[in-house]
Amino acid sequence: MSLNSPARKASRPGRRASTGSRPGRLGPLPWIAPAVLLILCVVLWPVYEMVRTSFLRISTSGFVRGSAGLDKYRKLFGEADLGHVLISTVVWTLAVVGLTMLLSLGLAQLFNQRFPGRRFARWALIAPWAASVLMTAIGFRWMLNQTAGVLNTALTDLGLVDGPRDWLGDPSTAWPWMVFVAVFVSLPFTTYTLLAGLQTVPGEVYEAARVDGASPWQAYLRITLPLLRPAFLVGVVINLINVFNSFPVIWGMTQGGPGSATATTTVFMYQLKTTDIGESAAMSVVNFALVVLMVLVFLKVSRWNGEER
Amino acid sequence: MNKRVRALSTMCAAGALALTACGGGSGSDSDGGSAAGGSVTLKLVAADYGEKESNSSKTYWNGVATAFTAANPGIKVDVQVVNWNDIDTQVKTMIQSGNVPDVLQTGGYADKVADDLLYKAEDVLSADTRADFIQTFAQAGQVNGVQYGIPFVSSARALFYNKAVFQQAGITQPPATWDEVRKDAELIKAKAPGVTPYALPLGPEEAQGESMIWELGNGGGPTGKDGGYTLDSPANVDTFRWLKANLVDPGLTYANPATTDRKTAFADFAAGKAGMLNGHPSLIQMAKDGKVDYGVAPIPGKSAPLAATLGVADWTMAFKKNGHRDQIRKFLDFAYSKENTLAFDETYNLMPVTQSTLHEMTASGKHQDLEPFFALLPQAAFYPLGDTTWDAVSAELKKSIGTAVTGDPAKVLGDLQKKAKDAVANK
Repeated sequence: MSLNSPARKASRPGRRASTGSRPGRLGPLPWIAPAVLLILCVVLWPVYEMVRTSFLRISTSGFVRGSAGLDKYRKLFGEADLGHVLISTVVWTLAVVGLTMLLSLGLAQLFNQRFPGRRFARWALIAPWAASVLMTAIGFRWMLNQTAGVLNTALTDLGLVDGPRDWLGDPSTAWPWMVFVAVFVSLPFTTYTLLAGLQTVPGEVYEAARVDGASPWQAYLRITLPLLRPAFLVGVVINLINVFNSFPVIWGMTQGGPGSATATTTVFMYQLKTTDIGESAAMSVVNFALVVLMVLVFLKVSRWNGEER
Repeated sequence: MNKRVRALSTMCAAGALALTACGGGSGSDSDGGSAAGGSVTLKLVAADYGEKESNSSKTYWNGVATAFTAANPGIKVDVQVVNWNDIDTQVKTMIQSGNVPDVLQTGGYADKVADDLLYKAEDVLSADTRADFIQTFAQAGQVNGVQYGIPFVSSARALFYNKAVFQQAGITQPPATWDEVRKDAELIKAKAPGVTPYALPLGPEEAQGESMIWELGNGGGPTGKDGGYTLDSPANVDTFRWLKANLVDPGLTYANPATTDRKTAFADFAAGKAGMLNGHPSLIQMAKDGKVDYGVAPIPGKSAPLAATLGVADWTMAFKKNGHRDQIRKFLDFAYSKENTLAFDETYNLMPVTQSTLHEMTASGKHQDLEPFFALLPQAAFYPLGDTTWDAVSAELKKSIGTAVTGDPAKVLGDLQKKAKDAVANK
């Protein structure tokens, strides 16, 4: 006992010190641990599995036959379709994000005005967002159906087309329709983001501008747009990722067909899955790298532009 | 404070447990419960041929399993019926995780032979059962001369035509050659507006079937006499050139056959909106439901009707992994008895694969509408099912062979042949 007590006494200050500093050092850890674990399990682990699979030879029956080295990547880059799929992906992403941002700027401005029934109009805007994207895509597929589609009938009755057409069977007409649907489902989120941004712009600034004799157009260009920048950037980044990865719109409407003529890289990856899982995983890895790269480049460029200090 | 910390750490621990649990999963009861006392549980995975709960194949298999266990008390059968959309993925997952079934009934078998997962048919079937199979089907189950695939049900293709539409167009008998197909289609287009004269479904659902039927008509096909792939053979390229020039370009079929699926074509025919198409027995019921007066004829070829039509079969196979050879043998002999196969074929209006059942169904007189098909069965031509690369090649065909009727046939088929060669090289 007596031998023990000095040691215990000696240890006490140390322990007290450590308990004193623990909230400081370990403080946030228990709080963020669940989130970190979740990220490990649902983000990092699948990424690891995806990369690992891209280096494997897997038979069509699902049997792992061993390592493939870089073969699957070679096979992927040898695909005759890959070139036009990559081009389609870029055009698709730029077209959808561009149109969405442009239309949303207008819509947000509109919804920021005071008009009777604004509340209901704002609610109605949520509808395309609230509906499942796949459901919307399948809905449009049937509306565009050659024999039974309402849109086809309506267009024919209005005299806009000669007769019912198989819009989605031909890539040259399928692409515009898919862009239309993709923009349609992206509008609500983007508009709300911009609307939230608009509402943070203080009214005094506009008042001051008016006193200084600025025209409404000048006020929009010089005040609204610069102050909207953070909301606009958030909208662009999230839309870029969403549209690049957009699967349900294309899969629901054309399944990337005929062949891979209406496929983006994400859809192409899914098509490859039926013939070669390893190659499909390689496509996923490339896709993943592309999306990370795209976002990094975009953030870099936009921050560099936005340096106002 | 203390309470909160404790609650939080409990939550973390629980979360971590849940997360690790999601990683582990499955793989546990993979030995199929071959416990002491000689009692063995066979795991049976089968596809669902029913389209609703009331006629699910589960009822049929449960009945077979119960009767089998009653006759063989030591062997239980664990029945798992999976719908067609999911069965491939689920079986893949089972194989990957080592939790393989003992008996599997699904659409294809050869890819499993490539990985040496299956018993030979002679190991798991008695000589009597094997002798009962219709010869062409038993042969279609062979890989390099050894039978692994056990045929389960079958179907064959024939030309269906809408009698009312033909009458309206003034056509007295169904076409026997390609030229007659084109002429009849032109008549239908002129005299029966709103009807697709010939429904050509080359969409991803079953492009490999429709394209093979046309290729057979020109003496071609996906494989040559030596069994190697000949996807871009001159006969096949000519077939697609003919289709493009005579049916697609003049607008005698769908505007975009490459994106039109078989189910669309069948639905159109059942709605009276298609003049003719290649169909199989399940179209009989659809046409009756749609009150379409249909006729069935041999499939037209370039100069004469096809001698051997396309036959399709679904397969049963037995996996080696769990080592239940003797029990599987007993079960399969039981499941392939005439009573059982007859009951299944009659439930779903499918075609038999055994001679005894074929004889019974032909003789009973209850299946008159199937009779044209019974005659076709013994000389059916099959996909190269015994080729272990066929599944991968077939998937490529489904995806892009349809573009051959709008693009350049030689190029599309050439690309496909290149992919098939790659698949053979990597098998």
